[in-house]
Amino acid sequence: MQWNRKDLLELYDLSAEEIELILDTAAEFKKVSQRRVKKVPALRGKTVVNFFVEPSTRTRVSFELAEQRLSADIINVQTQASSLLKGESLLDTIKNIEALRVDLVVMRHSAPGAQAFIARHLNCGIINAGDGAHGHPTQALLDIFTIREKLGAVKGLNVTIIGDILHSRVARSNLWGLLKLGANVTLAGPSTLVPREFESVGVKVCHNLEDAVADADVVNMLRIQHERQTIGFFPSTGEYSRFYGLKAETLKKMKPSVLVMHPGPINRDVELDSDVADGDKSVILEQVTNGLAVRMAVLYLVAGCVKK
Amino acid sequence: MKNLLLKNARIIDPGRGLDTIGDLGVADGKIVDPGKVSDPQTIDLSGKVLSRGFIDLHVHLRQPGNTNAETVKTGCMAAAAGGFTSIVAMPNTNPAADTAGAIELLRSTAARDGVVHVLPCGCMTNGGKGEEMAAIGSLKSAGVVALSDDGRCVQDHALMRHIVEYAKYFDLPILDHCEDVALAAAGVMHEGKWSVLLGMKGISGASEELMIARNVILARQIRWKIHMQHVSVKESVELLRDARQKGIMVSGEATPHHLTLTDECVTHFATTYILNPPLRSEEDRQALLDAVADGTITVIATDHAPHTRTAKLVEFDHAPFGIIGLETAFPLCYSELVKSGRMSLPSLISRMTQGPAEVLGIKDYTLDEGNAADLVVIDPEATYAIDASRFCSKARNTPFDGREVSGRIEMTIVDGKIVYAR
Amino acid sequence: MHKLLIGAEEIPEIIRAVAQKIVDAGFAGDCVLVGIQQDGVPLSEKIADAIAGIAGERPLLAKLDISMYRDDIGKMRRLPLIRETEIPFDINDRELILVDDVLSSGRTIRAALDAITDYGRPALIRLAVLIDRGNPEYPIRADFVGRRIELPADRRVAVRFAPDDAPGVYDEPWIERHPETKE
Repeated sequence: MQWNRKDLLELYDLSAEEIELILDTAAEFKKVSQRRVKKVPALRGKTVVNFFVEPSTRTRVSFELAEQRLSADIINVQTQASSLLKGESLLDTIKNIEALRVDLVVMRHSAPGAQAFIARHLNCGIINAGDGAHGHPTQALLDIFTIREKLGAVKGLNVTIIGDILHSRVARSNLWGLLKLGANVTLAGPSTLVPREFESVGVKVCHNLEDAVADADVVNMLRIQHERQTIGFFPSTGEYSRFYGLKAETLKKMKPSVLVMHPGPINRDVELDSDVADGDKSVILEQVTNGLAVRMAVLYLVAGCVKK
Repeated sequence: MKNLLLKNARIIDPGRGLDTIGDLGVADGKIVDPGKVSDPQTIDLSGKVLSRGFIDLHVHLRQPGNTNAETVKTGCMAAAAGGFTSIVAMPNTNPAADTAGAIELLRSTAARDGVVHVLPCGCMTNGGKGEEMAAIGSLKSAGVVALSDDGRCVQDHALMRHIVEYAKYFDLPILDHCEDVALAAAGVMHEGKWSVLLGMKGISGASEELMIARNVILARQIRWKIHMQHVSVKESVELLRDARQKGIMVSGEATPHHLTLTDECVTHFATTYILNPPLRSEEDRQALLDAVADGTITVIATDHAPHTRTAKLVEFDHAPFGIIGLETAFPLCYSELVKSGRMSLPSLISRMTQGPAEVLGIKDYTLDEGNAADLVVIDPEATYAIDASRFCSKARNTPFDGREVSGRIEMTIVDGKIVYAR
Repeated sequence: MHKLLIGAEEIPEIIRAVAQKIVDAGFAGDCVLVGIQQDGVPLSEKIADAIAGIAGERPLLAKLDISMYRDDIGKMRRLPLIRETEIPFDINDRELILVDDVLSSGRTIRAALDAITDYGRPALIRLAVLIDRGNPEYPIRADFVGRRIELPADRRVAVRFAPDDAPGVYDEPWIERHPETKE
């Protein structure tokens, strides 16, 4: 197995072997963060630009720390799609950045496929840190890493993702990654937010929370965005919570070994009861820790394929 | 201008039910008896098809406002290269063609620069904004042949009703872009399996279906012509078929790209595939092909929408809608519909001549003697790859570059003058 | 293309010789053999066995991957795959012996020194190798050497341990079985 990609755009591009390679590499990088000296010189002399065309704190901090621990030089660019529309095009902006001899661009954008579009025109490597509702591959990789670390193999596990699947890049990337590794995926949530079309790729679509979690080895609770309510996808966060929030009493009926995950940030007592979020089934903070290792692995692998 | 004697052609004239090998004469810009042409230039058209020139009900010429993408001159040249001798210029230029002055400017520009007939279309509402009725009477006086807010759709049903009633008196057909804005939900592709899997904002088929239903109701109530532009979903076809069977004055057009491509094309985010209406599902595409073949859809129109390379070199969500179509329309339709055995060549020619002529109320759009010598010569045997680098259009935003097709436009004649020869 | 330099049957003898030198220098059960990934790891196990046979006590073992510490990142066609690092105890104030199959340029050992010192501050570090090519590019020398072999710079010394891989020490051109093409 060898890594051959200068870009990480979406998990559906990758083979199961490539995903496993990232996870194996991440396991070694996780050890780095457990050492006295938490830094390695692997990307010394390389320059990474974190180009975020959509506000982000968690993902950017995680990437930034991963880059620092790999000894890369870092530039952060935070902008808005609206200002890009008025002035220089996205492609010109990134080409200008590339002209500064940058090796990697970690990019978040509100438009699906923006990174794929940029990657076609650039020599430097592109890592997708989220593109609209299309994908968020490093989030899915860290989720899968956490599952693998806690439960061993992913193959054959029942993984249920609950929430606003329609607008969720986290759900989509998880879906592709989990399917490649042989998990059984169930998508659950209100019928307005979990379209039946997902069934076409061999996943279960379910609108009843208790049914969706009954056999689950893992439940991944997505953050519900308050703004969806205003455009009529569901009546209120209160009603959402009543039907789709994960509560302590539901948890009692689930497998004792179940993992409760959440990509964060949590709306406490909306999609996840505080008791559940802080309880012994929750691996939410471990996901954050693993995110660092996974991003180090991705940066390392991708950097190795960027042509000088 | 020399008189022409076009010999040994397969003459196809659906308006008169004619499909025969023969000769055709052209003198003083008119079709004449081939036996009575004096001192003609003789052109042997053995193995070629000769028809009345195509009419495209749906062309964006971009002048004024976006002449980097297209001009009246280059758009007309592209039309000629595609076998079109008349094109209806959509009014969503910048500024929009919502006044008599704008129409007069277009007509004078076309008279100076255009090699084919440019038939102006006026806005239904001021600025095409869907708020206040445009000066339809004045537009008619300035020479518009139809009304359209293409690119947008009047959402206010009462206003639309008044427009149709008012237009009827001025004998102007309505060409409507059928889209319910709320259901379209600022989407960028067809709402279906692929939009769901890709996480892209979808444009529901219902958004078109709803407005087609609205227009069928208004056409029935007012007894006036509403033509549905770029019909894209199966359910729209069914509404149209049902309404036409009841004698309601509605018609529909299909674009070559909706007949050949589906939403699966979007999976690589190439901005050539961002269209409105979007490329739909394979099921929709099959329904459209059937509708064109069975005559539910009587018009092939290109929705020729030129954009600069720069404008398309952006994120998918931010790219402007549309592709160019004038120079690829016939070979695409011929390959998809005739070569495949779905319909006859005379029927396809009818969708590109008779069908649009009827929408515009043009009588006797045939090769009858005395009619304008607007003609197209087709080589039905030619098989080749589309080469966008040789297009006459200024724009290159086509997904069909390199596509293998059959049927080639050999020559286009407007008012007896050869305006395009391969 | 490649030539057998040392037959498989000779290798255990050379390993024993290295072990003997380590024991003679006063190291045995209280030291740590740190095998450098990939071929230093099986070698460190064999040396540990040999030391156990000679001195009656077996040194501790660790694995070290130096990929993250190489100085040729960006010069290689691809980055090396990262293999497992396993140092299951505190190395502060311990005596470490780095173990690798071949000492060539010294660059790997340079990286290994950087890597291991990120885990702590050992009391001392020594280097044991099966083969020393004797043409260092960095000022790095091995303390315990099994065999010295001199070869032109464009040739590579390859040590194979695996029974299914025609074990032995080979003289190969660089391109063959290079880490990039090995996978």
